[in-house]
Amino acid sequence: MACSGGGGHGQPSSAILSPVTPGSLSTSRTRAHSICMVSDFFYPNMGGVESHIYQLSQCLIERGHKVIIVTHAYGNRKGIRYLTNGLKVYYLPLKVMYNQSTATTLFHSLPLLRYIFVRERVTIIHSHSSFSAMAHDALFHAKTMGLQTVFTDHSLFGFADVSSVLTNKLLTVSLCDTNHIICVSYTSKENTVLRAALNPEIVSVIPNAVDPTDFTPDPFRRHDSVITIVVVSRLVYRKGTDLLSGIIPELCQKYPDLNFIIGGEGPKRIILEEVRERYQLHDRVRLLGALEHKDVRNVLVQGHIFLNTSLTEAFCMAIVEAASCGLQVVSTRVGGIPEVLPEDLIILCEPSVKSLCKGLEKAILQQKSGALPAPENIHNIVKTFYTWRNVAERTEKVYERVSGEAVLPMDKRLDRLISHCGPVTGYIFAFLAVLDYLLLVFLRWMTPDSIIDVAMDATGPSGAWTHQNPDTTQRVENDEVLDTPR
Amino acid sequence: MEDERTFSDICGGRLALQRRYYSPFCREFCLNCPRLSLRSLTAVTCTVWLAAYGLFTLWENSMILSAAISITLLGLLGYLHFVKIDQETLLIIDSLGIQMTSSYASGKESTTFIEMGKVKDVVINEAIYMQKVIYYLCILLKDPVEPHMISQVVPVFQSAKPRLDCLIEVYRSCQEILAHQKATSTSP
Amino acid sequence: MVLKAFFPTCCASADSGLLVGRWVPEQSSAVVLAVVHFPFIPIQVKELLAQVQQASRVGMAVLGTWCHRQQEPEESLGHFLEGLGTIFSHEPWLQLCRERGSKFWSCKAIHRQVSAAPDVPSEDQVMLIFYDQRKVLLSQLHPPTVVSDHQDGDTMASTGGLAVVFDTVARSEVLFCSDQYDEGPVRLSHWQSEGVEASVLVELAKRASGPVCLLLACLLSLISAASGCRLWKLWPLPFIRSKLSTCEQLRHRLDHLTLVFSTQKAQSPAQLMRKANMLVSVLLDVALGLMLLSWLHSSNRIGQLADALVPVADHVAEELQHLLQWLMGAPAGLKMNRALDQVLGRFFLYHIHLWISYIHLMSPFIERILWHVGLSACLGLTVALSILSDIIALLTFHIYCFYVYGARLYCLKIYGLSSLWRLFRGKKWNVLRQRVDSCSYNLDQLFIGTLLFTILVFLLPTTALYYLVFTLLRLLVVTVQGLIHLLVDLVNTLPLYSLGLRLCRPYRLAAGVKFRVLEHEVGRPLRLLMQINPLPYSRVVHTYRLPSCGCHPKHSWGSLCRKLFFGELIYPWRQGGDKQD
Repeated sequence: MACSGGGGHGQPSSAILSPVTPGSLSTSRTRAHSICMVSDFFYPNMGGVESHIYQLSQCLIERGHKVIIVTHAYGNRKGIRYLTNGLKVYYLPLKVMYNQSTATTLFHSLPLLRYIFVRERVTIIHSHSSFSAMAHDALFHAKTMGLQTVFTDHSLFGFADVSSVLTNKLLTVSLCDTNHIICVSYTSKENTVLRAALNPEIVSVIPNAVDPTDFTPDPFRRHDSVITIVVVSRLVYRKGTDLLSGIIPELCQKYPDLNFIIGGEGPKRIILEEVRERYQLHDRVRLLGALEHKDVRNVLVQGHIFLNTSLTEAFCMAIVEAASCGLQVVSTRVGGIPEVLPEDLIILCEPSVKSLCKGLEKAILQQKSGALPAPENIHNIVKTFYTWRNVAERTEKVYERVSGEAVLPMDKRLDRLISHCGPVTGYIFAFLAVLDYLLLVFLRWMTPDSIIDVAMDATGPSGAWTHQNPDTTQRVENDEVLDTPR
Repeated sequence: MEDERTFSDICGGRLALQRRYYSPFCREFCLNCPRLSLRSLTAVTCTVWLAAYGLFTLWENSMILSAAISITLLGLLGYLHFVKIDQETLLIIDSLGIQMTSSYASGKESTTFIEMGKVKDVVINEAIYMQKVIYYLCILLKDPVEPHMISQVVPVFQSAKPRLDCLIEVYRSCQEILAHQKATSTSP
Repeated sequence: MVLKAFFPTCCASADSGLLVGRWVPEQSSAVVLAVVHFPFIPIQVKELLAQVQQASRVGMAVLGTWCHRQQEPEESLGHFLEGLGTIFSHEPWLQLCRERGSKFWSCKAIHRQVSAAPDVPSEDQVMLIFYDQRKVLLSQLHPPTVVSDHQDGDTMASTGGLAVVFDTVARSEVLFCSDQYDEGPVRLSHWQSEGVEASVLVELAKRASGPVCLLLACLLSLISAASGCRLWKLWPLPFIRSKLSTCEQLRHRLDHLTLVFSTQKAQSPAQLMRKANMLVSVLLDVALGLMLLSWLHSSNRIGQLADALVPVADHVAEELQHLLQWLMGAPAGLKMNRALDQVLGRFFLYHIHLWISYIHLMSPFIERILWHVGLSACLGLTVALSILSDIIALLTFHIYCFYVYGARLYCLKIYGLSSLWRLFRGKKWNVLRQRVDSCSYNLDQLFIGTLLFTILVFLLPTTALYYLVFTLLRLLVVTVQGLIHLLVDLVNTLPLYSLGLRLCRPYRLAAGVKFRVLEHEVGRPLRLLMQINPLPYSRVVHTYRLPSCGCHPKHSWGSLCRKLFFGELIYPWRQGGDKQD
């Protein structure tokens, strides 16, 4: 657990290699926690946060904790579902506002969230992603209800433009009385500490992980007569699709034996299509459209070089996946990316067309001269770096520490809000916190905790879920077929 | 053969569960909701009439008063006849079927009978209902084309909404009969 | 599995004898149809059963014995009944017994062959289910079972459990035809129809219906042949016909009548019900129409109407003129583009002038036209209503014209603006790929485009105002026409016969069955009463709704608003289908 504020920046791969400091935290586990993961982003939506929540929950279940996930309804998928190993997911019918994030009034989600927290006997609320309004709502309500809170930040933000100033202010409010914060890289930690004006001691760094067994190399799938560059990302501005559209024609003119495979969907796809049409590259640039997570590996193994053009990134899982498949990675030097892979596995460039082209040319030369290690060797190196079990272990220590802490009582919380978040915002949110508390008192009067049915535990120490035949032994059966995501 | 126990519904109201065991293969469960209380009836009527009287003093049109009276009467009739359910019954007969009856406060009864051949199982499920997450008992119906799929989920005790302890009571009984049914139908 | 014995309530007071019925092995249920009384000769009973089986294709058998102890218990009868089991071998053998003074019956089912020791017959759990034979015979299960193969009754067993019971009872109608008082070789006890009242009249009607149908069918075919004649296919006529709701309604009614009076027999109960519904609907329609006719032609109402009509049309035109003059000034304090405003206003004013002169030209003939139109009410209320709708459409033709002009202008501007806005951003619409591409324009193009864009933007409010006002007027007319059309549709589609049947004979349309547990004593078989669960009214309407003219609003509210915003033409419902094809 690297929770002290030592500067990890400029020290690549320190996130992986920093040893778990033994101390008061690493006492032997005494009890199982009941954890509620809250985020707007979960399957069937696809992305890094979603798979992080899923994998972390699975590993925590394996370690004997009770885990439930709360997210909003996706189209027809609403209500309550069970995923693999009895992972219970609540898809709440809340309105989606923008980019799969729910609209927030700060209060309307309280009745449902309170009901769930009470009936599942939740002890720790773990919110994910600062883009998710529901995660912040849950933090707010959990603090009102006196539950322990943990927050994981998955993204980086700027400080200059209007939107980030506003978001940062909200983050300050949201995190000022949260028990513990987890970041995915040191860059991300630095960023979060600055944005939310936090005490660095309550911020831990736990990197993301990939499942190395899912991303194994397969050199026979690629054609060695040509060199193939693979790009897998959402085609949006943040992921640098505009840079990609500059790189493609330049390199294709220079190297006639160069192909591109681009997986992903997004509003910027049209730019790539235009580039392809303008330079007549239909046979050399393949646009695959949206990929399912299980297909990503099959796309990756078809290439020699993986290109990542992100403009901002807290921890890039894509490059780890690509490296795990044995590809040479070329990436921009932004955010937490330099920490992720050791220097001999990655070529870092500035986020400009020229610099990226140079980096790619270097990679192509290495590939042609055969100077690169074999895919299996790369895979064997990478697979030791990031595993979900390790992540779950470290997260468990955070929970252990948090469960020993006291939650701020209401008056202290108000004091802290006012003193910590500036005069205007502080008073506004202190007032809102009081309102939230009053609403909670009203709800407790309307439906006392005693008449809320305690839910059957599917996971955890008294979990009813069995691996053999979940249908027959399960008292509480779910309405749909048990579906694993992916 | 017949006993009565009290449970509570999800809002804390009182429910009476009557169980009648006619024979080993025929059981009936009867959930009685509390009757329409005089207090709430008076409260609603008074509110409507006070509002009507307020409007009457404002506009001085006696039509408003008569309209208020007729609205209250019609509303009460409609409520008793279409909304307020006093009693819900689940009758399960081995090798014949499951019958659900709901009796309205006005005496109207609506009955649904599901043949045993269509029933796949009886389970307790969870659902998000209003601002609550509740357990409910439901009957799963077989898909006529593919017998392993579920074509429909029929909720039981829809208006009473008892709590989990009551549901488990009914569920166990139903499962006993279903198990007997499955055991005998496979080896006739 | 529990053995279920379905027993008709009408046989509960019958004398002792044999139970005759059908055995369904899949569900282990015995459907008792009748009781055979003593004395009988076993051969004759078997012959009768064979006859019935041949006629109804239902596997009939003697299921067991029935013992009704009215007097003191007779020891000998019990032995005798047991002995019968050896004559009519059936597996299992039912022994049903009703004791005097006791409400509870006893019932035993005895297996002979299965048990190891032949002396100790094994017994099953038995459940007695009483049913009303008449209601079950007459009722029709919903939804109807699809399998209706008449070849073999035993394949029916694969369909749902209770459907078999219904099917068995319905098919063995032959059994119930034999009269109780006939001195046949075998005496039976079962449900018996008391005979139709006024059966002479019914018989007469039945006899007469054939020739009447034939005659009417001939007449109708003549009419349809005349309407199919080539003269009607000349150019403007089909177009006009498709626009007039009267023609549609007439054709619809003609179809109904040909179906009702077709000489073919109805294939299925559903078809029969449909025919009856159509007939009742037509009759009601004509009755209402005649009432309207008598009301119209009494005390010179037509003349009053005609006198009122012209001033109303004048008044409407006048109001429109006022509206236009208001628009040509500064409506609601808005400052419009004066030149365009004047041009549009004058154009519309001239139109109204034309319209008024047209109405005045027509005014002497209006009364006569109305009188003839009134006559059409004898064809039915719906026809009269359709004609009313058409008249409204004709009288508000000027509003329609204004709307079309306004909409076209507005539409042109909106499209121009949207494509110029794309030019503004360096994009263009790619027609081949159906998407927006980026495109680099040269300076002149950009300059001209920007100029045009500015002009269009500044002229837009004027056009939009005219468009808005006339669209509102048009929507008003469309709403009125729509309401009339809804009324016509209601009369056309409401299944009145089925509703009447549901009201007076609820058991005829069955949604299923319901059971009631009768009083019960430990150790005796469970007794259930099976009742017919009638179909709810909403389901009746849903199931037996007659097909409407197929002119429902095709677009939702959202798409309607979108169309209005982009200035696309909206039509009343009748033409909606034609336009979208």
